[in-house]
Order: sequence, then structure tokens, then C-alpha cells
Amino acid sequence: MYDYDVIVIGAGPGGYPAAIRAAQLGKKTAIIEKEAFGGTCLNWGCIPTKTLIASAERYHHAKTSKDFGVTSNGVSFDYSRMIGRKAEIVKKLSSGVRMLLKSNGVEIFEGMARFESAERISVSQPDGSRRWLSAASIIIAAGSDSAMPGFLPKSSRVLESRAFLDLTELPKNLLVLGGGVIGCEFACMAAALGSKVTVVEMLEDIVMILDADVRRVLRKRMEEMGVKLLTGAPLTDIAADKNKVTGRFKDQTLSGDVLLVAVGRKPNTATLDLDRAGIKTDTRGTIPVDNQGRTNIPSVFAIGDLVSGSIQLAHAATQQGIAAAEAASGLRSKVEPICPSCIFTSPEIGLAGLSEAHAAAKRIQIKTALFPFSALGKAMAAGETDGFVKWIADHETGQLLGAQAVGCHATELIAEAALAIRNELTIDEVAHTIHSHPTMSEAWMEAAHAFHGNCIHLPKRAAR
Amino acid sequence: MAQAVIFPKLGQTMEEGAIVKWLKKEGDSVAKGDILFEIETDKANLEVESFFEGVLLKIYVREGVTVPVNTVVGYVGSAGEKVPPQPPPPESAPAQPPAQLPAAATPAAQAPAPTSAAALTQPQPKVAPAQQMPKPVTAPAVAALPAVPVPAARLVISPRAKALSRACSIDPSRIKGSGANGRIVEQDVRSYLDASGYNTLRIAPAAKRLASQNSIDILTVRGSGDGGRIMTEDIKRAIRRKPVALTRMRQVIARRLVESKQTIPHFYVTVKVDITDLMGYRTNIKAQGINYSVNDFVLESVILSLQEFPTVNSVTDGINVSWHGDVDLGMAVSVENGLVVPVIRAAQTLTMAEMKAQTKVLAEKARTGKLTPDEMVGSSFTVSNMGMLNVDQFTAIINPGEAGILAVSSARQTPAVINGEIKIRTLMAITLSADHRIVDGATGAAFVNAIKDKLEDLNLWKSLIA
Repeated sequence: MYDYDVIVIGAGPGGYPAAIRAAQLGKKTAIIEKEAFGGTCLNWGCIPTKTLIASAERYHHAKTSKDFGVTSNGVSFDYSRMIGRKAEIVKKLSSGVRMLLKSNGVEIFEGMARFESAERISVSQPDGSRRWLSAASIIIAAGSDSAMPGFLPKSSRVLESRAFLDLTELPKNLLVLGGGVIGCEFACMAAALGSKVTVVEMLEDIVMILDADVRRVLRKRMEEMGVKLLTGAPLTDIAADKNKVTGRFKDQTLSGDVLLVAVGRKPNTATLDLDRAGIKTDTRGTIPVDNQGRTNIPSVFAIGDLVSGSIQLAHAATQQGIAAAEAASGLRSKVEPICPSCIFTSPEIGLAGLSEAHAAAKRIQIKTALFPFSALGKAMAAGETDGFVKWIADHETGQLLGAQAVGCHATELIAEAALAIRNELTIDEVAHTIHSHPTMSEAWMEAAHAFHGNCIHLPKRAAR
Repeated sequence: MAQAVIFPKLGQTMEEGAIVKWLKKEGDSVAKGDILFEIETDKANLEVESFFEGVLLKIYVREGVTVPVNTVVGYVGSAGEKVPPQPPPPESAPAQPPAQLPAAATPAAQAPAPTSAAALTQPQPKVAPAQQMPKPVTAPAVAALPAVPVPAARLVISPRAKALSRACSIDPSRIKGSGANGRIVEQDVRSYLDASGYNTLRIAPAAKRLASQNSIDILTVRGSGDGGRIMTEDIKRAIRRKPVALTRMRQVIARRLVESKQTIPHFYVTVKVDITDLMGYRTNIKAQGINYSVNDFVLESVILSLQEFPTVNSVTDGINVSWHGDVDLGMAVSVENGLVVPVIRAAQTLTMAEMKAQTKVLAEKARTGKLTPDEMVGSSFTVSNMGMLNVDQFTAIINPGEAGILAVSSARQTPAVINGEIKIRTLMAITLSADHRIVDGATGAAFVNAIKDKLEDLNLWKSLIA
């Protein structure tokens, strides 16, 4: 007999929904968390960054609303209060997660989990004691940490995103290593609060997962905010002393108060003793799984950031967690292939499904249709005319395969696109769906009209 | 004046072929030497260049349609020039070759061959060139090509009913008509949709469109989405289930293999050849810069043995038997989605080094698709070597026109009894398939043992190679 039907390792955005779902399905469930309920997302990722970005945006709006007829003098900010507000929100959400787990009857264990076998786990608890738990099914949801490559100097001025969020003072000069999603989000936030920001990205451009037209909009706006974007070469000769961090990009010497390292994340699999359970990992330490999240050991599942080829997003982990809990309960479930991504830069970006580059790599014949916010009434009223929405559709059938949005509220807008793509609508269903006026979401309908060259609100020659 | 583009005859035995791809469209300008189209013959795909300069005025023969050689497939001329709406009948002897092969072509390609005269003098069909088949035996296979759809029995259906069934992507031939003469009217389609459960189906819009574009009957598709919703993936599966015409190469392989198995009484003899010493010898000479593969030794042994056993190098139709004379050795080479058999001609006249050099060239041509049709006909005996494919033993099917084929399997380290002791030796199974009408068991056994003896006789190889 096992102690539990299901044990979940890690109470992040993948693990806690998995535990709740298993409990909902009548399984005797336990969850093991080593540090903070809600995981990276809630404590050091999505939520805290978004609270700081909200503060930064308020400040930015207060300072730049003259054209709207709003003047304000002596606008200033207190970064430590922003951090305080963030801490409160995080605390509230984290205790909310605990409450949800408890109310569903999930038993909570705090400590580090290790596999003893495929059915048995030991937990090293904070008081130094250990205990052993066994379960018929185990779901690994231990997440990832920021990668800190070995060539970086050990210094309090060289930080990854988690430590950066605990700074009580915003660096005046910020160097960011890595122009991916995380690097650009932090760069935009700091720049909106008046920091001088320099981003160094080894690849040819920032946020390479985006199509080039979307990147152009982001790049332009970031540069307008004063962010220096250095791409196409690595940051070398990185050194830190008491007062500053320096580095070299091509022949320029760069210097900053702090170097934020955002070069990717590494899976938290090394301390789990996966070998003792016979669970296979690949060369990068991530765990390969099937379309229900099952590892090579049929009773063990893995979800979220530590899965091979994972998209490393909280909401992807949540769905995977639910799918795994259902599979562990004998239901037919599957991991959803379409997962929207949201990027909280200025401007915001949302994407779902195939990008143009992906479609080209898969040799799918596509046709794209785009509508710029500059032609949209609501965007003009709100003073947010940068950006556009774009559909990527199958050339033959008009099936919606992908979408990208860049501009104000793009992260909200992408939800409609994800619904349409996931349920295999064609461009015509979107074109025929009445969209409220005046809203930003009208852009999807207009873009769908543009697909057939029937756009009402674009001059005839501009439609493509 | 507009010049006719003619489907070329690319080999002495070639009577028909199909254009697999036009590389120019009507209205495209064409320079001398530009590739006009790609053709598929029984043996290979080849590119055909233009002999003329101008504009491609007309295409008569669509992709996938099989036509006799020398058929007029289009016209090249100056822009705006008038050409006949129907192709003229093929000329019985073209004054000049209107299209030329790339350099790889054999001279035979341009010579008008008498064998096709019968096909050429027939009147040109008015409907579709493919209906004129010079060789009835290939007709059923060609009818399966995608561009020549099998005409369905005429369905009596009203235009509204037809439009509705198309919009719903269902197959109207399954509906029973209630009108005069069983004519299907709209109400019949509606009742059918109700009765068949169509109206309760859940179908993703993209899936429905894909189904209708590909004429998939949605009622035959099982949905895999939420609550059995039919998704594009399900339609794609249904599309993959549709029959697809085999390539001409596979059709020819199919026809010849069936002919062989139905007309030739096969029997099989296997021996295991101990090639331990030969492998050692091979390593030794390799160190001296002389490189022969196991296949080279096998081919040479077969060539020598065929001269000792003329019966095995013969052919019979059950009434007469004729000796081939030369050893025209076919070697089966596996290529993408098929098999080709290039021929080493008069192999008995070649030194081992010459034979090896030819083998190499032919194998390379086979792999890159450069073999001409004439390089693939007229073998008198074939060797099929699966040594590199990790097989213990297999049997091969005789090519019609031959009396046998040798199947060569992988060399394996095996415990073998030598002088009453068990030793580890490298053994390789070879299996002769022979036509029992002329080759008897004893002859077959002697033949494979002759090959075995040669492979195991190092002195022979020293004399042939040194």
C-alpha cells in the first residue's frame, strides 16, 4: 500500500494545480515544496515583475500625459515602496495558494524532495529531520532557476532576476546580459523609471522567438525610451568591483551599477536523485515526456520548465499539471500544443501558434494578414498607435495557425487568437464575428478582412 | 514558325512515359537548353531540355498523363503565334529531334526506333492522349495515375442537392434519390444528413474546409478533438488513407515481380561461405592501397561460375531455351522508394579492376538517378547484395528473362566446426533462386558451391589481383 495516490514535487504554477486537480478527482494527494508556495511565477517571476511594471507605467503616464491635457508637476517615485507593494501582493497570493491546497484536502510537506525509488520519496524538512513518503503516481514539478554561467564574476553587482527583485534601490545604470523575454521586460521596466539601460544580446536581434516585424516595433520603442540595444556579439571581459560592473561589446567598453543576467533557465533536476527512480533525462538535464507528461517510468510524470522542449511559461505548466493529474487518475487527457506567450515589454507583445519563421521551417504555405493600430479609433483615443496584430493562416484553407500582436494590451488581445487557433477556426470565422467598437480587439477582425483584401478601414492600396 | 515539342524516346525499349513536372508554364520564355519538363519512364526520371528559343505557347499533355514517345506535348514559338487547339498526330519519323537529353543521354535517345512505329502511326486521340495505350498490359496501372481519374458511374442529382452535399463535404453517391429515375434532390440530402448523424457532428471550421477541398466524405472521419470534434488532424489522416498511384518505377517493379512469380517455378539453394581468410586478405591488400569490397569478390566469383554453368546464364519460355552468351551481370541497387538494376555488359571480358571500376560508376549513377534506361536493360543474371543491411539470409525473385538470381546476406562471426574443433569464423549465406524449368537441383547446388569455392580460394584472388 502506498501512503498517497499522488505526490506532487513543487508547488509552483504547475505543481499546485496538479495537486488540486488530483484531489478533485478523489485522489489522496500530497505536495512537497522546498521554499515558497506559488513557485517562481508567483514569488520571483510573473507576478512581482508585473507589479513593478504597473508602478513603472503609472509613473511614466503621470509624467507624459501633457498631450492628453493632464499636467502634473514634481512627479517622483519611491522604489522601496514599489518593492513593498510587490512583497504584499506576493504574500497574499502565496498564502492563497496554501489555502487552496488545504481546502482541497491536499497534504502539505515543506522540504527538499529526493527520489528513493520510482514510488518512494524522502523529504529533508527545514528542522533537519527526514521523512519518507510513497505514492502510486508522482508528478515532478520542481521548475527551474536562472542560469548563471561560470564565466561571470561572483559579485553582489552581478544578479539574476530573482535577486534583482529584492533590490531596494533601482540601479541608475543597468547592464542587462541577454536580450530575451526576461532581459527585455526588466530593461523596459527600469527604463520607464528613468534608469539608463544597456542590453547586450549575442544573437542578431532581441527576442528572436518573434517575427522580424514585431521585433522592429519593440526595438524602436525601447530605443525611444533610451534603452541601448547591442546585438550580434557577446559581452566579454566582464568584471565587477566595489562600485561598478564593466564589460566589453565589440570595441566598446560598457559600465553599469548592476549587471542583470538573463541568459536562460536551467532545470531543477540535479538534486532530485532521478537516477534512483530510473528516470531518464537528456543532456541538458531536462526530462523527456509523452503527450500526457509521462516520463520513461509510467507512474512518474514531469511538467513545466524541467520538461524537454518546454515553453517555460507558468500557464503551460498549469495545463501540463492538470493533464498529468488527470492521466495519473486514469483519465484520457493530453498536453495542449497551442500555448500563447505574453511578453510584458513596452509595448506589450502576445503570440500564439506558429510564427512566420516556424511555418517556413515546417514548409507550410502561409498567408499573413496584418492590421496596424495606427488605423484604429480606440488606439488613437488612447494614444497607443504603435504596433499591430497579425494573423498567420494556411494559404489554402485559411486555417488560423498563428498570431502575433504588439502594442497596448497585446497580452490580453492574444487570448482571442489562442482560442481561434486551438479550435481550428479559419480567417472567415473571425472576419464574420462582430467585434465591439471601439476596442483594440477590433484589430483582429480588421486583419481578417485584410486577409481577403476587404479591409474597410485601410486605404485600398495599403491592404496586402 | 512554332516548333512542336515532342516527348522524346530515351531508350531503345522505351515506348511511353509520363511528364511528372513541367518546369515552364504556358507563356514563359524559353531559351535553348532550358529544362522544359521532367519525365518519368519505367526506369528513371529524366530532364528534357528545349531545342528551341522563344515562348512556350501551348502545353497539351498535363503532368501525370502517360503518352507514347514522340507525342507532341506542346509548342515553342514567338509570342502571339497561333497553334492548333488540339495536338497534331505524332510524326512517324521526326525530321529532327525537337528536344534533347542532357549530356548523360545515350546516342540511342535521338535515333528513331523502329519498334515504336506501330504506336506512332495510330491516329491521335481527340479526348485524352492517355487513352491510347500501345501496350495493353500497362493500361490498368496507368489508369490509377492521379491525372487520369476513373470515371464514376453517373450520379443523377439536382444542382441544389449537389451543392449542398459539396458544402457539407459528404459523398452524394451514398444517398438514395427519391426523384424520377432515382434522382437525388435537396430533400434527400437533408434526410440523409439527419439519418446519418451528420447534423450532430462537431467539426472545426478549418477541418470542414480542408475536407471539402480534398473531397473527403466527412461521415467517414472519426473525430479526435474535444468530445469527438473533427479536427484538421483527422481530415489529414483521411487524406492519407486515399489511394495514391504508385510511381511508374514501382508499377513496373510490381508487374515484373508478379510476372516472375507466376511464370517462373523458383527453387532455392543456400550455402554458407567462409570468408574469414578472404577478409584477412582484403585487409592485407588494402594496406597496400588496393581496395576491393566483399561485393567485388562476389560479383567476380559469379561471373566466373556463370561461364562454367551456361545453363544458369540462359533463359527459357518453357518451350525453347537460349543461352545468353555474354555474362551481362545485373546488380540490384536500392534507391529511394525503389530498386534499379544496372548492368555490367560482357562482364566476362573485363579484368577484375575494370569490373570494379564499372560497378562503382554504375552504383553511383544509380544512387544519383543518372542511369539511362539503356543501362538498366538486358541483364542475363542478377546479384542482389543485402550484406550491409544486417540480414541472416534471404531469397530473391528472378528477373524475367533470366534463369537465376543470387541473394547475398551479411557476413557474421559464427561458431564453425573445422577439423573437429569449434572455431569462430566469418560466414556469409548466399542463396540462389533458380528457374527449375532449366536449372535442376543438382546444377543449382553445384553452381552455388562453385561460387563458394572461389570465394574461399585465396590463390585464385592472388592470381586475379596481383
